[in-house]
Amino acid sequence: MDTQEQELEDIELFQKHVSDRFTELSSPPEDDALLSVSWLHSLLDVFLCCEAEFEAILIMDRDPSQLSKPPFDRLIPEFIERAVKALDICNAVANGVDSVRHCQKLSEIVISALDQNPLGDGHAKRAKKACLMLLSAMNLDDKEGTHVKATERSWSFGRRGVNKEQIAGHFRSLSWQVAKNWSSAKQIQSMIYNLVAPRGAEASGLPSPIYTMNVIMIFVMWALVAAIPCQERNGLPTHFPVPKQLNWAHSLIGLQEKIADEWKKKEKKGMSGLLDELQKMEKLAQSLIDFTDSFHFPGDAEKVKEAAANVSELKEIFGRMDQGLTPLQMHIREVFHRIVRSRTEFLDVLEKGSAPVL
Amino acid sequence: METPENNSGYESAEKIILRWDSTASEEGRERMIFGTDRQEADVYLQAVDEIQRTLFSASISDCSHNVDADDQSKVNTTIQIAMARLEDEFRNILIIHTSALEIDSLFDSSTSFSSSTPTHHELEDDEDCISDDSGSSRNNLLQLHHCESSDSSTYRTSSSIREVDLMPAEAICDLQAIAMRMIAAGYLRECIQVYGSVRKSSVDSSFRKLGIEKLSIGDVQKLQWEALEGKIRHWIRAARVCVRILFASEKKLCEQIFDCVGTDIDDACFMETVKGPAIQLFNFAEAISISRRSPEKLFKILDLHDALMELLPDIEAVFDSKSSDSIRVQAAEILSRLAEAARGILSEFENAVLREPSRVPVPGGTIHPLTRYVMNYISLISDYKQTLIDLIMLKPSTGSRYSGDPSTPDMEFTELEGKTPLALHLIWIIVVLQFNLDGKSKHYRDVSLAHLFMMNNVHYIVQKVKGSPELREMTGDNCLRKLTGKFRQAATSYQRATWVSVLYCLRDEGLHVSGSFSSGVSKTVLRERFKTFNAMFEEVHRTQSMWLIPDGQLREELRISISEKLLPAYRSFLGRFRSHIESGKHPENYIKYSAEDLETAVLDFFEGYPAS
Repeated sequence: MDTQEQELEDIELFQKHVSDRFTELSSPPEDDALLSVSWLHSLLDVFLCCEAEFEAILIMDRDPSQLSKPPFDRLIPEFIERAVKALDICNAVANGVDSVRHCQKLSEIVISALDQNPLGDGHAKRAKKACLMLLSAMNLDDKEGTHVKATERSWSFGRRGVNKEQIAGHFRSLSWQVAKNWSSAKQIQSMIYNLVAPRGAEASGLPSPIYTMNVIMIFVMWALVAAIPCQERNGLPTHFPVPKQLNWAHSLIGLQEKIADEWKKKEKKGMSGLLDELQKMEKLAQSLIDFTDSFHFPGDAEKVKEAAANVSELKEIFGRMDQGLTPLQMHIREVFHRIVRSRTEFLDVLEKGSAPVL
Repeated sequence: METPENNSGYESAEKIILRWDSTASEEGRERMIFGTDRQEADVYLQAVDEIQRTLFSASISDCSHNVDADDQSKVNTTIQIAMARLEDEFRNILIIHTSALEIDSLFDSSTSFSSSTPTHHELEDDEDCISDDSGSSRNNLLQLHHCESSDSSTYRTSSSIREVDLMPAEAICDLQAIAMRMIAAGYLRECIQVYGSVRKSSVDSSFRKLGIEKLSIGDVQKLQWEALEGKIRHWIRAARVCVRILFASEKKLCEQIFDCVGTDIDDACFMETVKGPAIQLFNFAEAISISRRSPEKLFKILDLHDALMELLPDIEAVFDSKSSDSIRVQAAEILSRLAEAARGILSEFENAVLREPSRVPVPGGTIHPLTRYVMNYISLISDYKQTLIDLIMLKPSTGSRYSGDPSTPDMEFTELEGKTPLALHLIWIIVVLQFNLDGKSKHYRDVSLAHLFMMNNVHYIVQKVKGSPELREMTGDNCLRKLTGKFRQAATSYQRATWVSVLYCLRDEGLHVSGSFSSGVSKTVLRERFKTFNAMFEEVHRTQSMWLIPDGQLREELRISISEKLLPAYRSFLGRFRSHIESGKHPENYIKYSAEDLETAVLDFFEGYPAS
């Protein structure tokens, strides 16, 4: 079969794989709830697999000058630009995982405080303090990482020798490591900008997988931003302009809509991040605060039992975070490297196909 | 067994703790324990210890059912109150003694121990800036700066970490004492939390003072390279301060405070404090390492590479725990990307030289901007020899055998045994440059000018090679010999192209009418000869005064060479045949010039006079 036919077959296969992979992501096994740490791992794996196939189709055994002609002279540079934006998101999200880890550590205090038998007043007080800090950390104002709820209740001392500014300043325990005016929401927005599905003849040629890969990249970055707290997520777009007729896109769009719904619900309440473990942690912290607030030794047996169950669940979540967060950062780093490499390859291709400038 | 009830030591301790409970008493809120009165602090700590002891012994004898659960709860409560208080005290001590480092002095000291005196090695394009049609808006003729330290060995000076005392010893003692109690009571995590949050904001503010920007990768890609060069320079200095002083000092502080409790804890505190800023620091270098490759970036990238390389042992020393793996790894990754970038740029440069497409011939046959640019560039490369020799590991890929491809030159690798890959690249670049120039020379309509052009440019290459000992040593004598031969050849070809036909006018044959000897000279032919000679010479004079040989010595030599052939021939011709002309009408129409006139006229050649 000739190269053109082979190419069409490859493209079709690629898009089938995409569809399959996203279908799998849509119905995760029980332990890997949508937007949980391990689900995010799966998402990143899907990205890496798709990207590898994509590169193989576009670059391997291809004459570079082919990709310098229209419409590729526009499509490839656009792809490269989106890749750069994705890199910044990777960095921001990796940084955001640190703030999740911060919550993990706070939860450790709660666990160690409440994992006591018998439970004393002191333990409960300690746990309450930690829960408050935890909730405060989770309800971070995305802007510049400042705490919205002052946790003044959780510590207090006089003003001698310390001025208020110092106090306020030292609460900003997690300032984002990204540029001041950088906004993850705007970044995603600008990635979506100008995303147009190929039409007519282009739809059955190479522009098609390019479009597919663009959509995948945007989706993955978007999901990461939705899950993990990072700077300025206000105004995160919830709609992707991907035509429903596209076969390969069905699962992806379904997934996107599901997540977007969750996002819209949470957005109104002021939010930490859709990360499944964080969501669960928030609920548990809330009920534990209620518990510790009303606790007096020896406490109501039923409530104590309930609290113990909550602590046990919290332990489990802690465990998952403890196991999964550092690998998640490493995984994001892997994605980062891959995108860099891919961009370099495409830059090379562009360079080879065009006149040199000295 | 001592129960809380019948232990007065416990009771008084409990009283002390409760007195300082800031949630309960006004007094507790107003003052700090650790502040003014040493005694207060000691008393408090003793009280805490007492409670701890009680708790400990109570828990041991838990199985003896003598212990009242109520009592135990009370003790726990007291401990919690004490810990909450200690946490506040801990935080307070940290905050009070957190002062930003004197950043300016740090900068000075850091540059001094890297012993770099800023020298400014500026290679400019002197002489005429003749633009060609490749007309990119960017200036083709780069000013290649080699700032800050042209001596690449400064980047190899041995590193020195300089820890600074971030806090007075007394404060550290207090912090240690508090930490010990908190950890003994199981409040380790609270301790780390507090420590991390206060110290981290201190590091953040030091970062701001050092002027370390938070730039995204997107930002870096958009900035002009010139602006980035400044930022790179700044980053190098700031990074040295960060790693060697700032981070190292934070590490030391952690070790001092948590000394007695184990290395895992002080590692955890250190990473809590420093991880974010460290990543932020390296992100900039990473952004540079992945920027689009273009030739002018090579040298700053090498500077960054060298600086990071030099810093690497310090990075490994400061970030030596398992939890800081990712930072070490990132630094190594960046280093390797920078090396890759350098290689890629060099390769791109070679390709660009080969395919540089400008066709408009340089007026006057003088030095082509490409020649200047390339030779400046490779002179600078040879300055960076020390770094590049390690980075460039493969010989150039094109031209390694006779490829038969007419669009690339061939290169003899046999006689280049024993040369480093870097040297091979330099030689290859020169080969490629000549090849390109050859192609350009063919665009001159006048073949003489084409030869002159080649002569000028190859001569320039020779001068540049001779002018750089490093370059000369790497390219080798053989290369130099070949180049010299080439430009001499071009000079010869030029002369042949121009002067053979001119001198042809002064030949003997065809002048003599068959038969007699002395008076058998055809006056008509002779007059024609003179006329033709004059016309040709005038034309050559007119044209070639507009041509240019920039090198004074070469210009002289060529003129002398021309004169040596022209003048004797003319004198001899004049001598033998002037009488025939002078005996006829209007001799001045034919004998326009004396030999001296010609001699003077030759002085105009190659002066690059503007068209009149």
